[in-house]
Amino acid sequence: MQDIWHGLYEAFFLLLQLDSSVVDAALRTAFVSSLAVMIATLVGVPIGLLLGQRNFFGRTFLVLTSRAAMGLPTVLIGLTCYCLLSRKGPLGDLQLLYTEPAIIFGEFFLALPIIVTWTHSAYRSLDPAIVETMISFQASWWRRTLTLLSELRSPLLLAILTAFGRCATELGIAMLVGGNLKSTRTLATSTALETSRGEFSRGIAMGLIMLLLAVIVALAIAFFNREEEHPK
Amino acid sequence: MTSPLLQINHLKVNRQDTIICNVEEFEIQPRERVAVIGPNGSGKTTLLRVIAQLESSYSGDILIDPALSQSIYVHQTPVMFRGTVLFNASYGLICQGVPPQDRETVAMTALETLGIASLAHRSCRQLSGGEKRRVAIARAAIVKPALLLLDEPFADIDQTGSDAICELLFSLTETAIVVASPQPVPHQLDCRKFEI
Repeated sequence: MQDIWHGLYEAFFLLLQLDSSVVDAALRTAFVSSLAVMIATLVGVPIGLLLGQRNFFGRTFLVLTSRAAMGLPTVLIGLTCYCLLSRKGPLGDLQLLYTEPAIIFGEFFLALPIIVTWTHSAYRSLDPAIVETMISFQASWWRRTLTLLSELRSPLLLAILTAFGRCATELGIAMLVGGNLKSTRTLATSTALETSRGEFSRGIAMGLIMLLLAVIVALAIAFFNREEEHPK
Repeated sequence: MTSPLLQINHLKVNRQDTIICNVEEFEIQPRERVAVIGPNGSGKTTLLRVIAQLESSYSGDILIDPALSQSIYVHQTPVMFRGTVLFNASYGLICQGVPPQDRETVAMTALETLGIASLAHRSCRQLSGGEKRRVAIARAAIVKPALLLLDEPFADIDQTGSDAICELLFSLTETAIVVASPQPVPHQLDCRKFEI
C-alpha cells in the first residue's frame, strides 16, 4: 500500500514538473487518437447515413458487422494491422510499421465501427417527418446533408467523443503496430512499459492522465446529453 | 374548364389487411381550396400523404398535372428543424437559394401576419404546440407552392391564431390548398367541402 501512495505522490510531482516523457506520450496520444477519429468520422458518417437511408442487398449484414466490430479486442485489430503492415504484408512497401501513422491506421479501424453504428442508429431514430419535410421543400442533396448533420449533431458528437476515449486509452494497437519505441510511445504503452520496469510512479502518472482523459470525455458526454435534454 | 391539378380514382391504402384510406374520386383544380373533413381514422392524413407522394404503397390511379411544380405537406405534428423560428420559417427559401436579406424580409412578413414575429430569434424547441404549427404553416406558405397540403392546421390554435392563419392562406392566390380537419374549417377560407 505504501508503494501505491509513494507512486501517487511521485506521479503528481512528475505531472507538476511537466516531465518530458509524460508530456511527450500525452501529446502523441492526443495527436494520433484525434487524427484517427477525424478520419474515421469523415469515412464513417457518410457510411452510417447511407446504411440508414438506403435499402440495398447486404445492408443488414453491414449493420450487424459494424455493431459486432464495436466489441473487437484492440489486440486483434493490432494483430491484423501488424499482418497488413509488416514487411511481408500487402501494405509492407509503405514501411509504416512502428510509426505514428501505423497507430493512426490501426485506431482508425477501432473508431470506424463506433462512428458508423452510432450514425446509423441516430439516423434511424430521427423523426421521419424531418426527412419528409426536406423532400417536400425539394432541398438539394447538399442542403439535406447539412440539415441532417445539424439534426444529428448531438449523437454524432457523442460518437466522436466515445471513439476518442476508446482510441486514447487502448493498448493493443499501439503496442503491436507502434512497437512501443520512444518515437511511438503513447500513454497506454508507456504505462505498461514503466510498470514492467518497476517505475510505478511514472506508470501511475501516465495512468492518471489517461484517467483524466476518460473523465473529460465522460463529462463532455454528460454535458452534451444534458444540452440535448434541456436546451438553453 | 381548366385541367385538374390532381385527380384520384379508386384510391385504396391498406395496412396489415385493413383499408385505412378509401377514396373513389377526388380532384383538385388549380388555385382551388378544399377541406377534407372526416372523423379520426377516416384516412385524411393518408390521403394528403398520398397526394404529397410520401406514400408509395397504394392502389388506384393518381394523375398529376406535369405543371404541378411543388406540393408541400405540413404534418399534423409540426416538424421543426434545429435552430431559430426565423431559420425555420425561411427554410424553403434557403432551399430555393434566395439571398439571406430577401428571405429574412419575406419570412418576417409571414411571421408578422401570423402574430409570431416577436419569436423570430427564439429557438424552436421553446415553442408551444400552437406556435410550432404557425411556424410550420409560415414556412410552407412563404414558398408559394402550387399545392399546399395542411394536416389539421387549426388544432391547438386559438381564435386569433386561426384568423391569422386564414389571412395568410387567403393571400396565397396562386396556390391550391387542401386542408384536412375533423371539424369544419373557418368559413373565411371559403373551401369546397370533401367528406371522407
